[in-house]
Amino acid sequence: MSRSPVMSSSSGTPYLEIRNLVKWFGNDRAVDDVSFSAPKGAFITLLGPSGCGKTTTLMSIAGLHAIDGGEISVGGTIYTAPKKGVFLPPEKRDIGMVFQSYAIWPHMTIAQNVAYPLEIRKVARAEIDARVAEVLELVGLGALADKLATQLSGGQQQRAALARAIISLPRLLLFDEPLSNLDLKLREQMRVEIKRIQNEVGITSIYVTHDQAEALVMSDEIIVMSKGRIEQRGGPREIYSRPVNAYVSNFIGVANLLKGRVAAVTGAGRGEVEIEGNGGAVRLPCLLGPGIAPGSDVVLSVRPESIAASRQNGSGPLLEGEVIQVIFLGNTVDCRVRWGDFEWKVMAHPRAGLKAGEKVYLRLDPARTLAVQP
Amino acid sequence: MTQVTTPTPTAGRWRSLFTQEAVVTAVVSIIVAAAVVLPLLVLIVSSFRVLDPSGFGSTWGLDNYRTLYTDRVIPKAFLNTLLISAGSTVLSTFFGVSLAWINARTNCPANDRLEPFNLIPFYLSPFVGAIAWHDLAGGKTGLLNSWARDVFGIHGSVVNVDNIYGVIWVTGLFFAPLVYLFVVGSLRRMDPSLEDSARTTGAGLFRTAMTVTLPLVAPAILSGAIIVFVSTAGEFGVPFKLGAPYGWQTLTTQIFTKAVGDDANIYLGAAMSMALAAITVFLIWIQQRYIAPRSFTTVTGKGFRPNVIDLGRWKWAAFAYNVIFLLVAVVLPILCLFAVSLHPVWQAEIIPSEFTLHNYVRTLFFWAPDHISAATNGIYNSFILAFLGATIAMMLSLVMSYMIHRTKGFGSRLLDFLCVVPIGFPGIVLAMGVLITYIRTPIYATLWIILLAYITRFFPYGQRNVSSVMLAISEDLDQSSRMAGATWLTTLRRITIPLLKPGIFAGWVLLFVIFLRELSISIILYSSGTETLSVGVYYLTNYENETLTAALSMAQTVVLLLCVYIFRRVAGREALTA
Repeated sequence: MSRSPVMSSSSGTPYLEIRNLVKWFGNDRAVDDVSFSAPKGAFITLLGPSGCGKTTTLMSIAGLHAIDGGEISVGGTIYTAPKKGVFLPPEKRDIGMVFQSYAIWPHMTIAQNVAYPLEIRKVARAEIDARVAEVLELVGLGALADKLATQLSGGQQQRAALARAIISLPRLLLFDEPLSNLDLKLREQMRVEIKRIQNEVGITSIYVTHDQAEALVMSDEIIVMSKGRIEQRGGPREIYSRPVNAYVSNFIGVANLLKGRVAAVTGAGRGEVEIEGNGGAVRLPCLLGPGIAPGSDVVLSVRPESIAASRQNGSGPLLEGEVIQVIFLGNTVDCRVRWGDFEWKVMAHPRAGLKAGEKVYLRLDPARTLAVQP
Repeated sequence: MTQVTTPTPTAGRWRSLFTQEAVVTAVVSIIVAAAVVLPLLVLIVSSFRVLDPSGFGSTWGLDNYRTLYTDRVIPKAFLNTLLISAGSTVLSTFFGVSLAWINARTNCPANDRLEPFNLIPFYLSPFVGAIAWHDLAGGKTGLLNSWARDVFGIHGSVVNVDNIYGVIWVTGLFFAPLVYLFVVGSLRRMDPSLEDSARTTGAGLFRTAMTVTLPLVAPAILSGAIIVFVSTAGEFGVPFKLGAPYGWQTLTTQIFTKAVGDDANIYLGAAMSMALAAITVFLIWIQQRYIAPRSFTTVTGKGFRPNVIDLGRWKWAAFAYNVIFLLVAVVLPILCLFAVSLHPVWQAEIIPSEFTLHNYVRTLFFWAPDHISAATNGIYNSFILAFLGATIAMMLSLVMSYMIHRTKGFGSRLLDFLCVVPIGFPGIVLAMGVLITYIRTPIYATLWIILLAYITRFFPYGQRNVSSVMLAISEDLDQSSRMAGATWLTTLRRITIPLLKPGIFAGWVLLFVIFLRELSISIILYSSGTETLSVGVYYLTNYENETLTAALSMAQTVVLLLCVYIFRRVAGREALTA
């Protein structure tokens, strides 16, 4: 099955629509006016640290708890709308869900687990058996159908949970940090697996994680959340290369973040930012994020790989610092450079020959140096 | 794909209020709340009603409470209750802790085989224990005294349990397993490296036990001790048999005289119940609020390989100690009971030529021409009550536990509280409340009123069994069933209940056994035709002779032991240790 490629927020017909979602936990606004939509077949990731409201949003879509405001609808059917007095119980929502704990029922075999949603829907036995075999094959568990959950490894249980979630071809697939209980190697393997299977069945999916690498690998679109609000939404590339603020920049990947002030606007989305450090102010050419006005306080965000480090001085705006740490990683060298009070994280080429204690000159790529809101 | 139609706003609002979950949980909580709160409220209110001298009308007043300390008997009964509870608590704690330590932490021979036997008194009726000890060591008719006379020529009584010390002795023996259960779990969960590290610093075995082991299990010991104190204060059978006839009244025996009979004054009985409840509620509150939460923090919950302490030659002393406890607490009384039950009349000696099974015929066979119906009714009624009571209580427990652990917020905390309340009220106190509340309703003098009181008083034991399993089961397992399209009830039937089966079964069995031997509630609420097994024993000891009493007591003991044996075989080692 094929799907339309990456779509930006407003393009495509919205299938899942969330409008002004609000959820209170006691005196905390766990979800604070969150709105987004997803076209059919999309893979959307809610990304953020624990307590940012991503899981609460997911549970609201699932109907596992009531919401205090807003509206959730899928394919034109309203699922939850407190104002209209609508609350569809979870079992009527036709949603498949994969939990962090796998939630494979230990008193049933894997085949019985996977067959359950179809039994509930009163599908004929012969068809159930055929579909179970087919889905278990799809997730690579064909040989383990008659094993009990307790006899399976974590990774296998998670595959079974995925099989159970997709077997009824639900309208929506929800993932609640499904990989966080697995070890690193398995996690990397399952990312690709889940993405492949989702692609194959083509079910619109909402994926919750705090792992930015997971989000970057799997998603058509990432929604970065913090304190119950959406910070930024966009494709993985966009989120990574054009974060709108310091929070997103820091959360996705590694970034050097320095406070500064916009000194000049030199073109559409281009300008110069003045930063203080190492005994004086320096002006650096950079890209200006949306809504950055001249003279405003900004944060300069530079990825370690966007900095060229050299032992030789040269022309243009260079930052002179001192190498304080060099970690050899094979294809690259992770170094720390002291520049006044600031410590730069730089990904250098092994042949640059940097050594701790030596002088170094840093050149920031203006096309990848970004001034964003603090 | 099924198309879900959008409900109209009003229909949706109604539907979201009347889901299966909401209806079932609301109904259950209202029933449980009413069952628990109503009799206690009525009890409080009634304690302020004063019976006028004619014995018919009543007025408001504090006279009942004044009577509590101006009366000739009641202040003494109060004091006796405290003395007996304190004495039994010391005794039970000593036996319970020492046996638990021997079984859980030492290389005492065969200690895994001894454990189920150490628990036996917990499943038997203390009332029957008192009867057995009366036959064994009663001042006048005790077997031991008659042997002392025959063998050593000693006249008078060598041992005599027909007094406050006898009451303390018997309750102390019977409640020792309560302390044992609290402490043994704590000892088994304790990280043995804590003890090892004390040993490496040069502390000896005894010093380690005193400075490390004991303080770590102190909350468990304290919890056990408080439960024993409260249980003893509410115990009716033992003081009724060994204390009251010899001038040692307790609050429970006094409450009993106020509930039924010539001296009845339910309002004064209510005030006395309030006095008893004041002690027990206070202690249970302390235990639940301060001690129970601590018993898990000092002891890490990981599963450790039990590393045992080598007692050397002393292990045989430990073994002997344990075996002697079993002989004294279990074997000797039961054998004596059996011997007595075989005689037509008990003359404080065993006369094999007179042996007969006629006592069993008269107390067990309802078709026998000279059967005693109070006894034969009791067996029949007790089985009905135990089966229905355990089943209904577990159904309520299931829903209660679900609400406590699966729905958060004020409601669940309120229900959690509701599940602790009955533990604070002795059976006889709750029975007083139930009696006064329902005396003018059609359920009075039926089995239903007894059933209601049983469930109200004991459902928390079942609920705790279910809760402990439910806490170990992730909520995701329920939720994923809902997401798979199953309704709340289907989820309950296909996922939740099958997963909770061990807890539900264990709770059911525990309640079944408790109901089969229950005395202090039944004694207040029974009437002719609704006798229970223990009431049958009471009737025989009061109105018939010692040997008939022994026969029915023996029958009850055998039935209880058989139940425990069968259930342990079915459910395994962990069952029946609530």
